[in-house]
Amino acid sequence: MSDYILEMEHISKTFPGVKALDNVELKVKRGEVHALIGENGAGKSTLIKVLAGIHDADAGGKYLFEGEEADIHQPLDATLKGISIIYQDLSLFPNLSVAENIYIGRDSNKKPWKKINWKSMKDLAEKAMNELDMDIDLNKKVELLSIAQQQMIEIARALAFDSKLIVMDEPTSSLSSGEVEKLYKVIDTLKERGISVIFISHKLKELFRVSDRLTVLRDGQYVGTYGVNEINEQELIKLMVGREVVYERNTEKADIGEKMFEVNNFSKEGNFKDINFSLHKGEILAITGLVGSGRTELAQSIFGVNKADQGTIRLNGEDLTISSAEDAVKNGIAYIPEARQVQGLVLGQSVVNNMTLPVIDTLRNKFKLIDHNIEKNLTNQYIKSLDVRPSMPDMPADKLSGGNQQKVVIGKWLSAQPKLLIIDEPTNGIDIGAKTEIHKLLRRMVNEGIGVIMISSELPEVLSVSDRILVMSRGRIEGEMNTIDADQEKIMNIALDTEGEKDVGNSEVSDGKSHQEV
Amino acid sequence: MKFLLKQKEFSVLAIVVIISIILSFVSPVFLTVENWLDIIEGNAVIGILAIGMTLIIITSDIDVSVAALTTAVTVSIGYLFQFLPDSWISVVLIFLIAPLIGILLGSFNGLLVSKIKIPAIVVTLGTLNIFSGLVLYITNGNYINSTNFPDSFMAFSNIEIAGIPILIYLFALVAAGTWFILKYTLIGRSVLAIGGNAQSSVRVGINFEKVKMFVFSYMGFLAGIAAIAQTSYTSAIDPNGLAGLELTVIAAVVLGGANIHGGRGSIPGTLLGVLLLAIMQNGMILARIDTFWQNVVTGAIIVIAVSYDEINHRRNQEKLSNIDVKEAS
Amino acid sequence: MNMKLSKESVLGLIALGIFVGMGLFTPGFFSSSNLNNMMFQLPEFGLIALGMMVVIVTGGIDLSITYIAAFSGVGAALMMTNGFGILPAIVVGILFALACGAFNGTVVSKIGVPPILVTLGTMVLFEGVILAITSGNAISGFPDAYGLIGNGYYMGIIPVSLLIFIFFIILTAVLLNKSTWGRRVYMYGSNDIATMFSGVKNSKVLMKVYLYASLLAAVSAIIMTSRYNSVKVDLGSSYLLQSVAAAVLGGTDIHGGYGKVMGTIYAVLIFQFIRNGLNLMDVHSSLVDVVIGAILIIVLTLNFFSDKFSRRKAESSSEKTA
Repeated sequence: MSDYILEMEHISKTFPGVKALDNVELKVKRGEVHALIGENGAGKSTLIKVLAGIHDADAGGKYLFEGEEADIHQPLDATLKGISIIYQDLSLFPNLSVAENIYIGRDSNKKPWKKINWKSMKDLAEKAMNELDMDIDLNKKVELLSIAQQQMIEIARALAFDSKLIVMDEPTSSLSSGEVEKLYKVIDTLKERGISVIFISHKLKELFRVSDRLTVLRDGQYVGTYGVNEINEQELIKLMVGREVVYERNTEKADIGEKMFEVNNFSKEGNFKDINFSLHKGEILAITGLVGSGRTELAQSIFGVNKADQGTIRLNGEDLTISSAEDAVKNGIAYIPEARQVQGLVLGQSVVNNMTLPVIDTLRNKFKLIDHNIEKNLTNQYIKSLDVRPSMPDMPADKLSGGNQQKVVIGKWLSAQPKLLIIDEPTNGIDIGAKTEIHKLLRRMVNEGIGVIMISSELPEVLSVSDRILVMSRGRIEGEMNTIDADQEKIMNIALDTEGEKDVGNSEVSDGKSHQEV
Repeated sequence: MKFLLKQKEFSVLAIVVIISIILSFVSPVFLTVENWLDIIEGNAVIGILAIGMTLIIITSDIDVSVAALTTAVTVSIGYLFQFLPDSWISVVLIFLIAPLIGILLGSFNGLLVSKIKIPAIVVTLGTLNIFSGLVLYITNGNYINSTNFPDSFMAFSNIEIAGIPILIYLFALVAAGTWFILKYTLIGRSVLAIGGNAQSSVRVGINFEKVKMFVFSYMGFLAGIAAIAQTSYTSAIDPNGLAGLELTVIAAVVLGGANIHGGRGSIPGTLLGVLLLAIMQNGMILARIDTFWQNVVTGAIIVIAVSYDEINHRRNQEKLSNIDVKEAS
Repeated sequence: MNMKLSKESVLGLIALGIFVGMGLFTPGFFSSSNLNNMMFQLPEFGLIALGMMVVIVTGGIDLSITYIAAFSGVGAALMMTNGFGILPAIVVGILFALACGAFNGTVVSKIGVPPILVTLGTMVLFEGVILAITSGNAISGFPDAYGLIGNGYYMGIIPVSLLIFIFFIILTAVLLNKSTWGRRVYMYGSNDIATMFSGVKNSKVLMKVYLYASLLAAVSAIIMTSRYNSVKVDLGSSYLLQSVAAAVLGGTDIHGGYGKVMGTIYAVLIFQFIRNGLNLMDVHSSLVDVVIGAILIIVLTLNFFSDKFSRRKAESSSEKTA
C-alpha cells in the first residue's frame, strides 16, 4: 500500500484562452494535514475542483486515490470514494435538520425512492457528532446554528461518509478565536483516526500550527512541497509571490488638520454600542477588529443602509440625519463595501453605468435626459486617473479583474465628490500590485481633502496605510492609538478581548507576515 | 401531530378556526358534517393540484400550466370513454392512463426547465397556451356530457364509504402519499434540499436536474388524478371549466406557508391553505354575500398573508445576523 | 463597429420575414382592409406588452396588469354613463389605474414581497372590485366622439390608436434609455443590492415602474373600451400571459436587467402577423395560441443551444477567477 492517499501529478487544466493549471502536483500522505497555499489565481480552487470532480483535468495527468486511478468526474464520485470538500461558503441546507444535513447525499441519486429511516439517520448523525465531541440538537434546523456549528456539521457529514480525505477551504475565515482552537482540536482528532486533511488558508501562522507539509502553487504552476520544519514564513512568502514583499510601516506623523467628522453615542442593538470617534482632515483613520466585531455594521449605519437606533453624526460642523444611503450620498458620504461583487458593483452592466450611478441625476441636459457625452467623458476621466484596464467604458463590469473592479467602485464614488469616504476591506481579493495602487489612491484622496476611514482586518495594511487606529471588539471601540505607536501585538490584544487568553496567532486578524491575500 | 404545531402552519390553522367560529354564528349550516363534506369534496381537485404545486414551489419554481394540463387529461378521458366497455376494468384503466398522460405532459415541462434551463414561468406559460389551445381546437370548446361515460365510472363516482364520498378518499390518499414521499424518501428530501440551497445540493451529489424533472412530472401525475376527480365530480367534461384555476391553486399553496424563495412548504400547510380558501368561499355563500365580494376578500387575504410572511422573514434574517455586543465597557 | 446583428435586429428581421411570408402565402393578407385591421388591433396588446416588459426588466412580473386595465376602463365608462365628458372620464380612468399601480408598487417596494405573489393577490382583488362594482355586467353606450379614439383615423389614413401607440413606444424608449429613472430601472434589475449601496432609492424606482405599467394599461383600456364601445371585467384578460410571452420573446430577461422596447414591439408584431395570417387561412383560433406557445418555447430552446458554447466559455473563465 502506498504511503500516499492522494497522488496528483502532471495535472493541467485549460479553459478557453487560459491555462489555469500547468503541470501541477499534489501528493498527500495518509493521516497528514497538508496545506495548500498560493495567491489568488494561483490555481488552488481549480485544483480542488479537479480533485472534487467538478472539473475534469486535461488529458495526460495522473490522479490516483488510494493508489488507484481515481476516475472522479462529478462531486458524487468523490464523495463515494471518501473525499469530502468543505467549501468556504459551506454546503448545507438551512431548511433541513442537523441529522438530515449529515445524512443527505447518500444514495439520493441511485435510489431516489429509498425509504428514509429517521431512526438510523439520527443514529448515524449522533455517532459522527460524538466522535467530534459535539453536542447539537439533531432535530434543530441548520439555519438556527452559528457558523462554527455549521462547519462542524460539515465535518460530521464527512465522518459519516467515512471520508478518508477532507478538504477544508479557508475554514477559519469566519470563526472566533475560541472556535478556531476547537477546530484545531477536531483536526487533531481526524489525524489520529488516520484521516488526511487538505487545509487551505490565508493565514500563514495558522498553516504552521496545523499542517505537516505544505504545497505551494504560483500562477497555476507547482512550486514545491515542503515539510513545515524545513521552511519559515519569510521563505514561504517568497515562494508564493516569487519575490519578497512587505508593506512599509507608516512612520510619518500625519499633518493633521481640524476635526471634520464626528460620531457620537452611536448604538444599534445586536450590532454595536456607544460608539464615539472623530476624524480629522489630513488623516486616514483605520477601524480594525475581528470579523463580527461590528466594524462593517458600524460603517453601514453611518452610510444609512443599516439604520442606527440612536446617536448623532456631524460632518464639517453640520448635524446630519441619515436614514438611507440616499441621504448619505446627498450629504457627501460614500461607502465602498467589502462585498464588491454583490454590494459594490452591478456586474452585468457596463463600467459607464456603474461609475455614474450615484451622480446620474447631475449628468442631464436641458431636456432632463442623460447627456451621454458628459457621461462618457466623466467615466473616461476616472478610467484614466485611476488607470482602469482595459480602458473600455462599455465593457461589462464582470469582465474586469478584481483590482480593476475595485477601481471602478472607487471611481464611482470619486465622481460623486464625497466629503467622507468609508472603505471596507479595500484590497480584499486583489493582487499585490493593485493593492499598493489602491493604498496610494487613498492617500491621494486624503491629500485632496476627502476624509477617509478604512476598515481592514489585515494588520500590515492598517499599519502601512493609516495614521490612527480604532480597534473594535464585540460591538464596541475598545482601543485607539496613533499608527506610529502601534504594533500588531497591541492591536491584537485589544481585538481579541483576551481575558487571560493569549493565543494571538490564532485570531483571524492576520498577523505580521500573512498580509498576502493567498 | 407535531407538524401542526410548526409555527407557520399553526397560524394558518388559527385563522381557519377563527373564520370557522365566525361563520358558525353567521350560518347554522356551516358547522354541519354535511357542509364540510361538501366543502372538501368540492375542493378536492384544487387540493390535489395544490399538493403537486407545493413541491414545485418548494424548489422555488412555479407551474402556471396545471389547469390546462388537467383539462387536457380530462378531455383525453372523455375521448377514451367512447372506447371503454362498461366494466370495472375501465375504471382501473382510467386510473392507469390518466396519470400516465399527465406524467407525459408534466415531464415535457420538466424537460424544458431542467435540461433546456428555460425559467419555469416562461415554460409553463408556453405550455399553457399549447395545451389549452389544442384542447379547444380538438373539442371546439364543446362540453362532453356523461351520456358516453361508462356506467361503471359513474358508479365509481357515486361510491360513498361510511357516508364519505370516494373523492375525499382519493384526495386524502394523494395528500398522505405525497406527505410520505416528502418526509420519508430520498427524492422527497432532495426536493426540500434543492429548494433550501441549490448549490449545496449539487455539491453533495444530488442530481438537480433529476429532482426538477421529478417535481414537474409528479405535478403531471397529480394533474392526471385531478382530472379523474374533476370528471367524476362534474360528471362531464368542460374544456373551459378549469380556466384560471392555476392561480387559485398557487394562492392556496402560498397561503399554506410555502415560500416562493424556496425550501419552505409542507403538505399540512397546503391543505390548510386550500381549506382556508374553501371555507371563505363557502362561508360567503352561506352568509349570502354577493359572490363578487369573494374575490375581493380572497385577494386581500393573499396580499396580507404574503406581506405578513415577508415581514416575518426579514425580521428573522436580521436577528440571525446579530452579534453579541458586550454589555459593560 | 460590431457587425454582428443585435438580438433585437434579428427579431425584427424575423418579424419582417413572417410579414412577407404571410403576405405571399395568405390571400388577402396584404389587402388594405386587412392591414387596416391589424393596425387597429396592434395598439391595445402592444401597450400592455410594453408595460409588462418594463416590470420584467426589474426582475418582477405584473399578473394584475389586465385587471388594472379593466378597472381603468370601468372607471372611464362609469363617468361617461353618468353624464360626464370624455376628458374627465379618461382622467378618472387613468387615476383608477394609477391607484392600482400605486398599491402594487407599495407592497412590492416598501414591504418587499415578491412581485409575482403581490400581483397574484391584487389580480384577484382588482377582479373582485370590478365585479363588485359592475355585478359582472358589461357597461356600454359611450359618446360617439369617444369611439374615435379606438376607431378613428388621423388625416384619413392612420388610426388614432396607432398614433397613440407610437407615441408611447417612443416615450417608453426615451424613458428607459435616456432618463435617469430608466437607467436605474436597468441597474435595479441587474442588482438591487448594489443600487441600494449606491444611494439609489430602490422603492422610488420600483414605485414608478408599477405606476408606469398601470398608465400603459390605462391607455390600452381607453383604446379597447372605445373600440368595443363596452367594458366588462375580462377586458383584455387574454393579453395577460401573451404580454409576458411577448416581452420574453422580445429578449427581455425574466430575471431582470435586460430588455429593449424594440424587441418587445417586434415580438408583438410577430404575434399579430401570425394571429392574423392564420385567421385568414381559416386556421382555428385556438391553434393560434398553440403556435404562439410553441414559438416561445422553440425560440428559447434555440437560444439555449446557441448560447451554450459562449456561456460555457464565460462560466469556465469566471470559475477560474473565483
